[in-house]
Amino acid sequence: MDTLARIKQLAAKEFSLEPEKLDPKAPLDTLGIDSLSFIEFMFKIEEEFGVAVSDEDLKGIKTLGDLERRVAASLAAAGKT
Amino acid sequence: MTQRRVAVTGGGVVSPLGQSLEDFHRSLIAARSGVRPLPAEVAQGSGVQVGALVDWDAAAHFKDSEAANLDRVAQFALVAAGQAVSAAGLAVDDPTRVGVYWGTGLGGSHTLEASYRQIYGKGEWRTRPLTVVMAMSNAAGAAVALRHGLRGPFANFATACSSSAMALGEAARLIASGRADAMVAGGSEALLTPATLLAWQSLRTLAPADPADASASSKPFDKRRAGLVLGEGAAAFVLEDEARARARGARIHALLTGYGNTCDAAHMSRPDRDGQVRAMREALREARLEPQAIGYINAHGTATAVGDVVEAEAINVAFGGAAKEIPVSSTKSMHGHLLGGAGALEFAAALLALEQGILPPTAFLEQPDPACALRHVALRAERVAPPRAVMSNSFAFGGSNVVLIAERAG
Repeated sequence: MDTLARIKQLAAKEFSLEPEKLDPKAPLDTLGIDSLSFIEFMFKIEEEFGVAVSDEDLKGIKTLGDLERRVAASLAAAGKT
Repeated sequence: MTQRRVAVTGGGVVSPLGQSLEDFHRSLIAARSGVRPLPAEVAQGSGVQVGALVDWDAAAHFKDSEAANLDRVAQFALVAAGQAVSAAGLAVDDPTRVGVYWGTGLGGSHTLEASYRQIYGKGEWRTRPLTVVMAMSNAAGAAVALRHGLRGPFANFATACSSSAMALGEAARLIASGRADAMVAGGSEALLTPATLLAWQSLRTLAPADPADASASSKPFDKRRAGLVLGEGAAAFVLEDEARARARGARIHALLTGYGNTCDAAHMSRPDRDGQVRAMREALREARLEPQAIGYINAHGTATAVGDVVEAEAINVAFGGAAKEIPVSSTKSMHGHLLGGAGALEFAAALLALEQGILPPTAFLEQPDPACALRHVALRAERVAPPRAVMSNSFAFGGSNVVLIAERAG
């Protein structure tokens, strides 16, 4: 499964949403994901992918697509892809 | 100033004796105990043998994604409060005039313990971002306010074993004074976690399992009593300005007319007779009742060696000669000690006596301790003419004493 599909699956479970309704380009708040919920979700993303996302990088994540790119970059940097 | 009277218009219960007010009452009538051996995964190395657990299925009440972000103590609170709001048929026309006063001794123990397990146990210096908002002691009450959109006064009382009784008493005063029209009030506790159990065990105050019958391990007022049994759960009530309740045709279960609140300021854990007497007298004075008007007392009765004797003496001092006639029981013999949730749950037990004239018993009280000279309701529930008023006592570590009096709506 690719990174975006895994993220979508985790997000669907975390927020009780249908995976197909998770538009990777949609701003997180339009998906009903507020900042507190997202920080909690990030914690699980870090565990799942074995990456660490800095506070600075976190600020740049506005959509699930942003999240995918950030995770992919971290995995690449760690030589995990 | 003419004070408004406070009606109880709905109740909800999540307890080791059932998960509705009706089921809880049925268990009390049957003198059924919810005390049982603690499963190994709960007790772990604590050495605690018995407890009164709620048979909890979070999935029956919450989506997985909700349950994961609510500590067990808040889950209990939401379900009990939801039952109370629905039973009362509470209509919130102005949400700023309806609030939540909640009580919990410890807050989100499961959350905190899971966090510490990860940090100290596994040596991973990571913890869930929601740890703070799930573990804070006001989280359970805040979840109730959030769920029902109640924007009036809010408070969380954390006075150990008197927490939820205090929440009820203070909420009643708020309504009486006109500051709120209705309040959701009660309390919850869920601290049967290995490390918290160990802390209690270290106090040397918990009862071991009764070797013949583990369900009979909590024996208040009995010569054989060996300490308290910890429980968990929640109870909630809708309190309402009586005139408002009558105007909307609500069923009025009782009037909460008396509230006593004192502090021993004598010792951190040893109970003090004088502080308890003052709390009972204050509640009687506020309700403008003579002692004889009280037809049932739900005692604090934790089944500790010292506590039961001090309370029995306090009742005898506060009620004088009338004490001989007033039926007393400790329902902790069946539901264990809910600590922060105890006062509200036992208020629910007292309402059974008030509304139906059924006095819940002190189960397993076969050998009353002569040092606890009371008119016990022993072993089995008793049926009487519904009394005019009932009392519920809650006495806490820290020397906090809270006494509630409920009267028939009549």
